[in-house]
Amino acid sequence: MKKPITLNVNGESHRLEVPVHRTLVDVLRDDLGLTGTKKGCDMGECGACTVLLDGKAVNSCLVLAVQADGRQVTTIEGLAVNGKLDRLQETFIEHGAIQCGFCTPGMILSAKALLAENAKPTETEVREGLAGNLCRCTGYVKIVEAVLAASGSPDQAGSPEQKEKD
Amino acid sequence: MPDFSVVGRGVTRLDARAKARGETRYLGDMSLPGMLHGKILRSPHPHARIVGIDCRRALSLAGVKAVVTGRDLPPHKYGYLVQDELILARDLVRFAGEEVAAVAAVDEDTAQEALDLIRVEYEVLPAVFEMEDAMAEGAPRIHDVERNIASRVVINRGDVERGFQEAHLVMEDRFTTQSVHQGYLDPVSCITRWEDDGSLTIHGVTQAPFIQREVMAASIGLAPEQIRVIQPAAGGGFGGKLDQKVWVIAAVLARAAGKPVRLILSYEEELTAGRPRVPLVIDLKMGFARDGLIKAKDTGILADNGAYCSYGPGVISVASHRSDSLYRYPAVRCDAKLVYTNKTPTGAYRGFGNPQVHFAVESLIDRAAVELGIDPAEIRLRNAVQKGEVTIHGWVLKSCALDECIKQAMDASAWKEKRSRLGPGRGLGMACMVHVSSNRASYRPFDGASALVKLEGDGGAVLTCGEVDFGQGNFTAYAQMISEELGIRPDQVKVLPPDTSISTFGLGSSGSREIFIGGGAVRLAARDARRQLLNEASVLLGSSPDELEIEGGIVFPRGNREAGRSIAEVAREAVYRGRGLGILGRGTFDPGSELPDAGKYGNISGCYTFACHVAEVEVDPETGAVKVVDYVAAHDLGRAINPAGAEGQIEGGVAQGIGFTLSEELVSREGRILNHGLLDYRIPTPPDLPRIRPILVEEDDPVGPYGAKGLGEPPQNPVPAAIANAVYDAVGVQFRDLPMVPERVAAGLAGRSPKGRPGKGAA
Repeated sequence: MKKPITLNVNGESHRLEVPVHRTLVDVLRDDLGLTGTKKGCDMGECGACTVLLDGKAVNSCLVLAVQADGRQVTTIEGLAVNGKLDRLQETFIEHGAIQCGFCTPGMILSAKALLAENAKPTETEVREGLAGNLCRCTGYVKIVEAVLAASGSPDQAGSPEQKEKD
Repeated sequence: MPDFSVVGRGVTRLDARAKARGETRYLGDMSLPGMLHGKILRSPHPHARIVGIDCRRALSLAGVKAVVTGRDLPPHKYGYLVQDELILARDLVRFAGEEVAAVAAVDEDTAQEALDLIRVEYEVLPAVFEMEDAMAEGAPRIHDVERNIASRVVINRGDVERGFQEAHLVMEDRFTTQSVHQGYLDPVSCITRWEDDGSLTIHGVTQAPFIQREVMAASIGLAPEQIRVIQPAAGGGFGGKLDQKVWVIAAVLARAAGKPVRLILSYEEELTAGRPRVPLVIDLKMGFARDGLIKAKDTGILADNGAYCSYGPGVISVASHRSDSLYRYPAVRCDAKLVYTNKTPTGAYRGFGNPQVHFAVESLIDRAAVELGIDPAEIRLRNAVQKGEVTIHGWVLKSCALDECIKQAMDASAWKEKRSRLGPGRGLGMACMVHVSSNRASYRPFDGASALVKLEGDGGAVLTCGEVDFGQGNFTAYAQMISEELGIRPDQVKVLPPDTSISTFGLGSSGSREIFIGGGAVRLAARDARRQLLNEASVLLGSSPDELEIEGGIVFPRGNREAGRSIAEVAREAVYRGRGLGILGRGTFDPGSELPDAGKYGNISGCYTFACHVAEVEVDPETGAVKVVDYVAAHDLGRAINPAGAEGQIEGGVAQGIGFTLSEELVSREGRILNHGLLDYRIPTPPDLPRIRPILVEEDDPVGPYGAKGLGEPPQNPVPAAIANAVYDAVGVQFRDLPMVPERVAAGLAGRSPKGRPGKGAA
């Protein structure tokens, strides 16, 4: 069974007809070509498919596309504004928080949602805020540093410049 | 140490920006016109005879383009070291999860529906799940080998018996390690397509494209050169993407359907039918002199192969002797057996047998230190191998900073102030490790690498080679090397992932070889390009090549920068003067390692790496939960080409090691894996981990490029023992079975001796 929906993705409106069982991640990737949202476990456990739904981080493999009807979806492709990277994208690059990169889009979007709720998180709050996003490459050290740096939190683990001085 | 302008400096990864923007294309982001979707039907039984397979209903489902079973295929065997697998099972299945049939359909839902319509009739056979049972008289034979022993390695060097007789203290214990998955988030996948000329193109991630096509060629009736492997971006590997039987299944599906086929494993398939770590049972006996010097070591190893060999025989070879080059052993003996069971086949994972054995050895040494009243750091320093020595197995240590790693890890962790002096339930533990950077025994004809560096008309360079970056960042390190040699910026270097029809031969990403070996070839190719560049420029500038300098993209006669020409100009001129060929630097690097003899004696790697880790833990006496609150990891890596990248390798490797030690285990009952999702298979999340503190111990290696050595696998090796030793320091009980989950720790604490620490107990 198919249902007509309107998805507002990264500020653009899309009228689609989707099977009711189809998940948001599949519609984003396969129908809209937004492959920046990654499909890892497809069971809501790894966080690679995280997008923002009305500003809240969700696993898009656990959301049906019809549930997102009429709502605002932000994917990694929508984070840069007029080619200027979001501060989190910049700090992830600067701090070496990216290795294989498969978790990166979801990680950045979870961090975005976290900072929207808590502008100056502590290190512990960052770790808890990212608890739904797995990364197998980095041990999270540089990811946590990048999020703290983007927040300007006093709990900063140290910018790359500070570390040079150590 | 000499200073370099780009090597050793903080350089942003070449691919970071695209990855941060979500623009990087992984396999699952790609499709080909007319592409179908493949799915695999797997056996529900750990051991059964296939009586019949009825595919008629599946074939008649709309949208299904091909259904393939083992009986549709020639009986070619598949396997890296031992050819003991069929592409799809024909008469027998030997583990729950074995591939029985495969479907290609217009979409994944249809392919899944078709799987449900295939009827397989099985006759269930008696199965064996425990290694002791598998080796028992009269046990069901899984393959046609005696006592289900797939492979055996025996090491015997020095007079072990005399060593034990002379020892003041002999310690003996059994350690066990479990099966764990590599845990990359990007599952195994590929797109296969048959070309008009009968050759096969595979888009997919493997850690070793040239090896993988050799392994799969015979099983599919092709020569390796008829298989073209093109690598997209890779979302992790860690050993788990060395063995890609899935590619062969996708290839036979594509042939049957006459269309390209994409096949992506589900995470459930990854966890139930991937190639997880080989679990070991290690019976370890060590003798020590009164001053802590090791007199002898005797090891018995049983390794659970699962139903097929994959990389198992290589893993037990490593397990049998690699850790022996950490200390000055006068005598060692090992008998390692790889045993078939009716379980998921096991294979390669970061460390390749070394983390398991280091867990046992480094744990027992800690207990010996306590027995002898010697500080655990001191007993390691007394036994540590040194630069210039040849180890018991003939390894030549041209560089070795083990002492320095121990000292720096002690300083950073405040070892002297904290060890055995922390409050109740808190403790500090140390473990060291040795590893190779490449291994001559893994691919006998060649232990090297090769590379081509082409200079472009815009002054940039393009690197092609057979090496792989599955996320660790070696491609950025290669760009730094080329930048260093040619005087261009690293971001002017483009590193192409391997394409076996274009790239020169390479062994890929395994054995911690990508910086040491791959980098060795890249540096020489860049130097060759530089030589050609200077020759070309000398013609244009009318001065001899040795009077020329390169700086900031300009080639100029020494002292006269204004007279110079840009690299871009010289490269363009070279293309015309060379009638199209231009400047093409070629490099090949072989580290001069030796093939070991039958008893595993020989200098198998071009260099060796060392590390010392110190973990600080907090043990909850009620729940048994172990929390790692601090972690210091000092690594002898020769030289860091990209310090942030090197730190990232250490941090990630330690994190995986913490998962291996405390939370991860593929739990099976009657051969069926019970935790087949990431909620139940517990990879560490951000709150589970401390802020891991890497220390880069830099002492140039004389062979490695710019003094660098490998760093891929080493960070995981010492982790289990460092944590077990910290728990021992905290609560006086040493745990010998991994993972140290709360239930196990709580049970161990319930039975501990009331004396407390420093205890002599073990659980």
